Formats: sequence, structure tokens, C-alpha cells
Amino acid sequence: MELKKENLEKALTALTRLGKVLVPGVVDGVKKFVPYAAGADIDLDMVNTTLPPKDVLFPQTQKMYRFTTGPDAAFEEISDAEEQILFGARPCDAQSIDCLDKVFLSGEYTDAYYADKRGKLTIVAAACAKAAPTCFCRSMGVDPGGAPNADLLLAPTAGGWNLHCQSDKGKAVLEALSGLLEDADGQALPPAQPELVVDMAPVAEKISTMFEHPIWDELHRPCIGCGTCTFVCPTCYCFEMGPEMHGAEGTEMRYWDSCMFSEYTRMAGGHNPRPSAKERLRNRYLHKLSYFVERYGQTLCVGCGRCVEKCPANLDISRAIEMIGEAKTE
Amino acid sequence: MSENSANNKNPLLPQMCKVIDVHRETPDVKKFRIQSVQGQRPFATLPGQLGMLSLPGVGEAMFSVTAEGDDWLEMALKQTGLLTDALHELNPGDIVGLRGPYGNHFPIESSKGKDMLFISGGIGLAPVRSFIRYAFKHRADYGYIDILYGARSYDDLVFKEELFENWPKEPDTSLHVTVDRGSPNWQGNVGFVPPYLEECAFSPAGKLAVLCGPPIMINMCLKSLSKMGFADEQIVTTLEMRMQCGIGKCGRCNIGSKYVCLDGPVFTLAELRELPQEV
Ligand code: SF4
Ligand code: SF4
Ligand code: FES
Repeated sequence: MELKKENLEKALTALTRLGKVLVPGVVDGVKKFVPYAAGADIDLDMVNTTLPPKDVLFPQTQKMYRFTTGPDAAFEEISDAEEQILFGARPCDAQSIDCLDKVFLSGEYTDAYYADKRGKLTIVAAACAKAAPTCFCRSMGVDPGGAPNADLLLAPTAGGWNLHCQSDKGKAVLEALSGLLEDADGQALPPAQPELVVDMAPVAEKISTMFEHPIWDELHRPCIGCGTCTFVCPTCYCFEMGPEMHGAEGTEMRYWDSCMFSEYTRMAGGHNPRPSAKERLRNRYLHKLSYFVERYGQTLCVGCGRCVEKCPANLDISRAIEMIGEAKTE
Repeated sequence: MSENSANNKNPLLPQMCKVIDVHRETPDVKKFRIQSVQGQRPFATLPGQLGMLSLPGVGEAMFSVTAEGDDWLEMALKQTGLLTDALHELNPGDIVGLRGPYGNHFPIESSKGKDMLFISGGIGLAPVRSFIRYAFKHRADYGYIDILYGARSYDDLVFKEELFENWPKEPDTSLHVTVDRGSPNWQGNVGFVPPYLEECAFSPAGKLAVLCGPPIMINMCLKSLSKMGFADEQIVTTLEMRMQCGIGKCGRCNIGSKYVCLDGPVFTLAELRELPQEV
């Protein structure tokens, strides 16, 4: 089955009947996923959005519960999940959602806010036929030609996309698109071959022993602690919670936080176990390449290259992976 | 509003509770007894477990549950900043939020049949107290009990009633209390906890040491205990990290791949040696 490019707008309009459709677009010059509206400036050929789709499941600010203070104090849970269709997410984006699923849905506790939104999300992923110079997904185990956890996969053809249904939610999408699809498959384009290649094998072997390695004295030097890398990263999920007050009433909020900020681990008494950029960068890289692997069996970097492109100090995690791989350990 | 946040589908939503008793322990520590607004114990805990206490509109922070009764929990709070300053203003009847229980717990099972050495400094007696109370409640399960506790001065000793009235009356139990600075109202030992520990010369045979207190005290006591012949597996302590969610999600409290809120706060020294040295 093929969706021709000329039918894309019709298809997206048809999908809005299923829920809010989010597509890669440009707002004020920033590439990100935006709610689809007819005639909108959407760009499915764009390699990577600058901002990742994580806010679809894990908004930058999430209202958690309302409360009143004083003698009649009460708490009232807020649940704001709605049906959403993430259209045109890249294989690395889909893999990043798998990472977030591990964090918020697995283990002893389930995060209710994430779970609500995840249950109502349909992922329509678009495989990549071309890669950006900063993409190194393949090296991180992500196949630019597939997205196993997507409900529907769009595989690019010369004139549109072949559709591969991968779940019941995918079937619902196909049904909504009936009449807009060609029965036959189009000529599929070969998946992208990113030029940036790093070798994770030696890193995987030794990184768990490298906490005290002198490499951290060097790697962090250019970092100014701005937090851009965690902000644009599709898998970075650290958050902070706090109240917003309006008189005696308030709303408990959850906000994205960044492990690259110095206040992140500072304790009430003033002690900070990660006092400088060295400890913070080390923790970010080790979390992605070592701790997460120990806990969930996969890396917390999907090789999307966003942080590589946006770091104002030119820190490059792909370079870091190479340097860690080459570092001498006894 | 949930009956019990432990059973709730949303683990980040606090249970509405009320303060039913406030007791000043020291110039900067108060003990709060907390009950659900329905008059029940907010949740059951095991010794060493944590609860996230919130003051609506001000914030929340993690504290160890220092004791529990049939229909209440107790937390001892030291004033360290905005939130604890505000919590110290609470009176009986005031509303707080509470969620939990969080974290692992002291090794109440594997320590059965052993002699116990409880060592703590300052507010560090708060977590240890939950284990001490548990051991006295199940007295036959544990051997001889030594309790070594120190604070800056007599006025800074917490839980004085238990230290000087209740616990010394328990069978096969010795109290060893010390203060850094002497005063006219103090007749006991004067000196820091680590040297006093070495002076007491406890034998490591068949013993488990439980250690909580300020980081400097812990580090020095670990050295002393090793010197006295305690193996790493015989020493249990608790870690402190800043916490937000308490459920292993927010990423805040990690030490290596472990989350203090989930995998801790209780670790044996043997386990700590496996972690990156980042506390
Ligand atoms: S984007 Fe670059 S400079 Fe900013 S915190 Fe991340 S590594 Fe440091
Ligand atoms: S660490 Fe950088 S390259 Fe890896 S997933 Fe995050 S933003 Fe992408
Ligand atoms: S406090 Fe959030 S992960 Fe431990």
C-alpha cells in the first residue's frame, strides 16, 4: 500500500478525526512537532526536528494536581491526556519513546501521567532515506529503515511512502485512510546510511570501570552548563516538581530539569555531590552509555545527533564515544 | 483523594494527612506524628523506609519514618531551609501531604539472631530509631543490643526520653551516649562518636553495625569499624541524595545505576564499595 505525496494533506486531515495529529513543522524558525492544520508548513523530508517529540508524552510543564491550602485543604488529580497521532517521527524518535517507556512504565511504579498519554498515542513513524551529517543512529543500534515500536511505518518511495501496519492502532490509521491509498507498493528507496559512524563495542566493554578515569578531566572542559543538550535530547527525562500558587489555591507542576545545572543535586544543607561540570558531564554520559544499560539493557542515546548540532561549546557525544573507546584502562 | 497512596494508581499524588502531635526534640529538631485525615496510619513501613512529606504550596521533601504506631507515623525534621522552616510552624490539626513508603529497608531478617550495634550522630538517630524500636518489639529475635549515639551537646540529643528512660530498661541492652561539647547539665562522656566507638572496643563477632549520621562521622566510623575488625558485610548505613519523585523516575538521586530512593537508602558497606564514589 502506498500513500502518494499529493494525498498527504488529505490523509492528515482524515487522521484528525482520530485525534490531535502532530507533524514535523517549523514555528518561528524552530523545527519541531506541531499540531496539524490544513495548509500548514509541514516537511516530511526534514531529517530531524530540532526539538524532539518527547513533549508529546512528557510535556515540558505538566499539571499534576490541584490543591487548596488551609483548614479545608484538598488535593485533586489532573488528567489531561487526549488521543494523539505522532506522524512522521523518525526511527531514532521511536526508539527514544522506547527508552521513555522503560523509565516511566517499567518497574515497581508506573507514572500515571505518562501512562495516560502513552495509551492514547499512535506512532506513525517515517523511515529515513537520507541522514544528516550529525546522525549516528546505526552505531547506536537504531535501524533508519525501521521502527519496531511504531504502530505504522512509512517507508519512503520515489513518490510517497509504503505503509506497513505494525499494530491494532496502526490498523485504525489504515482504516481512516481508506480511499486515499494505492493498493500496490511503490518502489521503496533504500534506507539511509549515516556517514557518522562510532564504535560502541569497546565502550560497552569498559565504560562501567571508567568512573575514575582521567578522560573526564578533559571531556567536560568546554561545557558551560547551559543544559541545551538535555533540552534537545529525545531521551533525557529528568524532571523536577513544584507548586504554582494562586492565592490559597495551587497547582503542583512537573517541569523538565537538567542534570547539567549545578542546582540539580544540591541538597537542602548546601552540600552538592556533583559540584562541577566534570561530575555533571560524567554523570550524563555514564547515564546514557552505562547506567541505563545496566538498568534497562539498552543505551539512553539513540544517535539522533541533536545535542551534537546544538551544543554552543561544540561538545560532541559521538566524539566522546570514540575517545572513551580509545582510552587506555589498566 | 486516595485512601492509601501506596495502592493508588498515581504514585505521585500525596495522601491528605494531618499532624496529630508535635514534640520539640532539640533547638532545631521537631518530631511530628502524622495520621491520614480519615484517622488511619497513612501506610505501613518497614524500618528504614522513607516518606515524602509535603506542605501544599511550599514543597515536599523525603524523610525517614522514624516510628510507626497502629494509626500514625512519626518523622523527625531538622530545620535546614525554607521547607523545614515552614514545617516547623505546623501545629496539631494542620494538613500535610504524604506519599510512600519508599526505598528498601534495614535488614531485619538477615540480622535475626545477631548482636546489634546501632551507631548514630545528630539527626541520624531518626532512621536508626525505627530499627531499634523494631528490635525491641521483636526482642527475642535479636541478641545483645548496643546503642551508641552522639550529638554536639546535651541539648542537641534527640529522643531523650527513649535514650535515658525507656531503652536502658530493656534487657540485654547498653546505651553509650556522648556529646562533642560538655555542659553543666551533662554528666556523661564528652568526645566525638568515632573515638568513643573505638574506646568502647565492641567485638565484631556475631554483630551487625548499623550506622547513620553526618557524612564526616560516617566516613570516620567506617574506618574505625574496619580497624576494629568488622567486615564490609557487617556494616549497614544509609545514603542521602536530593530526591524529587521517590519512585525511580525523575533521575535525581542516582549513584551510578542505583537510585537511592528505590534501591536505597540502606546499603551495606560491601554494596557501597561497588558504587561510584560520588556522595
Ligand atoms: S549543550 Fe554543551 S555546553 Fe550546554 S550543558 Fe550540554 S554539553 Fe554543556
Ligand atoms: S545524547 Fe545527543 S545524540 Fe544521543 S539521543 Fe540525546 S540528543 Fe541524540
Ligand atoms: S528521587 Fe526521583 S529517581 Fe530517586
